[in-house]
Amino acid sequence: MLLMFILDFSIGKEQLMITIENLTKYYGSNRAVNHISFTINDNEILGFLGPNGAGKSTTMNMIAGYLPMSDGKVTICGADVTKNPMKAKRNIGYLPEIPPVYPDMKVREYLSFCAGLKKVPVTKRKSEIERVMKLLKIKDVEGKLIRNLSKGYKQRVGFAQALLGDPKFLILDEPTVGLDPNQVAEVRALIKSLKKDHSVIFSSHILSEVSAVCDRVVIINKGDIRAIDTIENLENSFTTTLILHIKVKGSKAKAQSIIEMTKGVKEITAIDADGEDVFSFTVQLEGDSDAVRDAVMAECLKNGISIIEIYTDKPNLENVFIELINRPVKKSGLQELLDETPDESESAEGDDAEDDETEKEEE
Amino acid sequence: MFPIYKKELQSFFYTPFAYAMAMLFMLLFSLSFSTGIAKLDSSNTWAFSFTEMFYSVILYFIFLLPILTMRTFAEERKNGTEVLLMTSPVNTAKIVIAKFLANITVYLFMLAGTIIFPIITAMKGEVVVSQLICAYIGIFCWGAMYIALGMLISSFTESPIIAAIIGEVIMFALLFVDDIANTAFISQYPKLRSAIYAFAAQPRFAYFSEGFIRLSDLVFFASAIIVLLIWTYISIEKRRWNRG
Repeated sequence: MLLMFILDFSIGKEQLMITIENLTKYYGSNRAVNHISFTINDNEILGFLGPNGAGKSTTMNMIAGYLPMSDGKVTICGADVTKNPMKAKRNIGYLPEIPPVYPDMKVREYLSFCAGLKKVPVTKRKSEIERVMKLLKIKDVEGKLIRNLSKGYKQRVGFAQALLGDPKFLILDEPTVGLDPNQVAEVRALIKSLKKDHSVIFSSHILSEVSAVCDRVVIINKGDIRAIDTIENLENSFTTTLILHIKVKGSKAKAQSIIEMTKGVKEITAIDADGEDVFSFTVQLEGDSDAVRDAVMAECLKNGISIIEIYTDKPNLENVFIELINRPVKKSGLQELLDETPDESESAEGDDAEDDETEKEEE
Repeated sequence: MFPIYKKELQSFFYTPFAYAMAMLFMLLFSLSFSTGIAKLDSSNTWAFSFTEMFYSVILYFIFLLPILTMRTFAEERKNGTEVLLMTSPVNTAKIVIAKFLANITVYLFMLAGTIIFPIITAMKGEVVVSQLICAYIGIFCWGAMYIALGMLISSFTESPIIAAIIGEVIMFALLFVDDIANTAFISQYPKLRSAIYAFAAQPRFAYFSEGFIRLSDLVFFASAIIVLLIWTYISIEKRRWNRG
């Protein structure tokens, strides 16, 4: 068994750039991260998804070698982060949650310091700084004190720092927080373009972002991995929860019985009256959704009920996310999760409060 | 290591910090200098001597050095830049040494300003150069030890102000180690007394200011600095284990 494991690992090591095995972190008796294992392949963008306080930042801090792990092992390009930190850290570019910038330094000064810190050869330093400044579009603020920059610029300066020295592996902890929509799009495009010669792990609690950028996602909640898969696979594996919306004109009772009788319809979850003789049905389907939809339409038309509108809810990552996170631990209610995963603008304040809470817990 | 040293120096010298510190140190120094001159009667010439200014110089140290060292680690932690240092391919020990050297550099800059007083004295009065050099070596050693202590305290906390206040309290308390050793109660137990007395830095400084360089004193300061720096290293590493 042990031999198999070793064999397995040695084969895997050649192909996999970053392996994380059994990573665990305790804060006192409080378990923040619970035996998580996954790998990041070459030229892959891995999304790291979870609600606030799920253990995302803790995990990333451990991968980057900032926090020591309670148990487990992180290998980066063949170098163990704890046993051979100097070699491992040379291949890491890390953008933590709070951009690690010195407020009383100028942007160029700061990047020059970071380049030295990352042991970029002196002759290449200048061109390297120019390169990252161009990538992040911060050339226009190079002479400004970081103290005077807006949050978005600080974030980008922090990002630029992570790219210095062209490390093979990038760890980005919520890189788009605090950016305006335009900048978010730019940074996403940048992350996508980084895929060519880097491996990236990036965390977020914004689902659309993850589905737009990542090849695979790791979903984590309360320190446990809930799923590791590609986005398509995750979406497809939840087809059973397909929802059909149909708006009809005609008798309510008649339409209801026809829909209920159609094969493949699980149940009608809601009926709303939208005016005289117009009703919206929300229907849960099972099996092949396309066939069921066609059947419902055919039955309705055959019985003289006209269809005004019909569409199915595609199972998007959000549904998958909510389902996955809720499934094993029934206690954490849907409402609680919805509170934690609304869109960016709404959640800004709530997030802060929650972050504070988790920080207190951790301390 | 060098980039960190350079960055620290920039943060001292690109801001008014180092200059303000040097100015304050000179200003305080000039107080005891001018009171010394005022005490002279017309028959004597003014002899520059650290022995005279001994206690006041100590108090300046206690006042100024924690302010110099307070930011060393506390501010890195406050800014969140500790993560940057810890995740770059630089050994923690090298970070500690680089920061220590940077603080020492500023300290030397502060000391350099005070040389003006012996120079002024030399014009009109008398200066024993050998004694002066000894005294400066003594001040340097003592200051380096207090800087290491201040860095250790800075590594305990996230707030520079708290680091400065705690530093001043501890350094002030350390002044009285020899007095504690000499109290009637402790003098009853000669072994205990000599054990406590061995930790007193003040008498050792007094030797320097009188023009003696004793190997035992140099060893004392060097070992104190090394112990404090290692302790700082351990404290930083320990915090990483404990915090989120």
